[in-house]
Amino acid sequence: MSMSTYIKVCGGSAVIWALGLLLVPSFAQAVEGLLLMFLSTNAR
Amino acid sequence: MKLFLQIVGLFALLLCVTLATLSLKHRGADGPSLLFPGGKLVSGELHQGADPDWSFTDQVGTIELETSDPVSSRRIFVMESGGKIYVGSAYMRSMLGRLWKDWAFDVEETGARDAVARIEGVRYERELIRVNDPKIIEGVARKSAMKYAGGATPEVVAQIMKQVADGDTWLFELAPRSR
Repeated sequence: MSMSTYIKVCGGSAVIWALGLLLVPSFAQAVEGLLLMFLSTNAR
Repeated sequence: MKLFLQIVGLFALLLCVTLATLSLKHRGADGPSLLFPGGKLVSGELHQGADPDWSFTDQVGTIELETSDPVSSRRIFVMESGGKIYVGSAYMRSMLGRLWKDWAFDVEETGARDAVARIEGVRYERELIRVNDPKIIEGVARKSAMKYAGGATPEVVAQIMKQVADGDTWLFELAPRSR
């Protein structure tokens, strides 16, 4: 993947991801659940 | 190799976007989310008068706890023991814990012990007092094991007590305010 394409993919993904977190509560809760599981497992 | 690094970079970017977005989304909100701190607890009746029988918290998974310096709130386990209620903060000797459980460090370092607990929609003004008495810790460890670890076996209770004694877990009583 060329650098310009990669940057476009990153930018687009970040915007869609952020909007999903802000506007879709169930998506945000699922992501938070995964983060919590990671922290509970690794914060030692 | 290049594609692999690009995928890793994309995942790292999405993780950063997640942390920033959810942190901003909940900052200043009336209460925390599952993981991210919120702001001042505003809604809900403010309890007045004598303390209730705290044993009802045995049926409550988590409560919302607001601390005062800085004002922020988080979701936290609660344990009733001997007619009093307690909260704990684990992972206190790990780097992730220091980031995740900054409220407990703030309470200890700033001395700002005033807190508000919102339990089932009712707000209780409390004071956070660090607990180090082994007898109290044993009772709280027993309740914690029963509620959150599947049963108060001697091994689990001893493990929780060791975590407190070693400083991995800090225990606070949610005491009535003294002023």
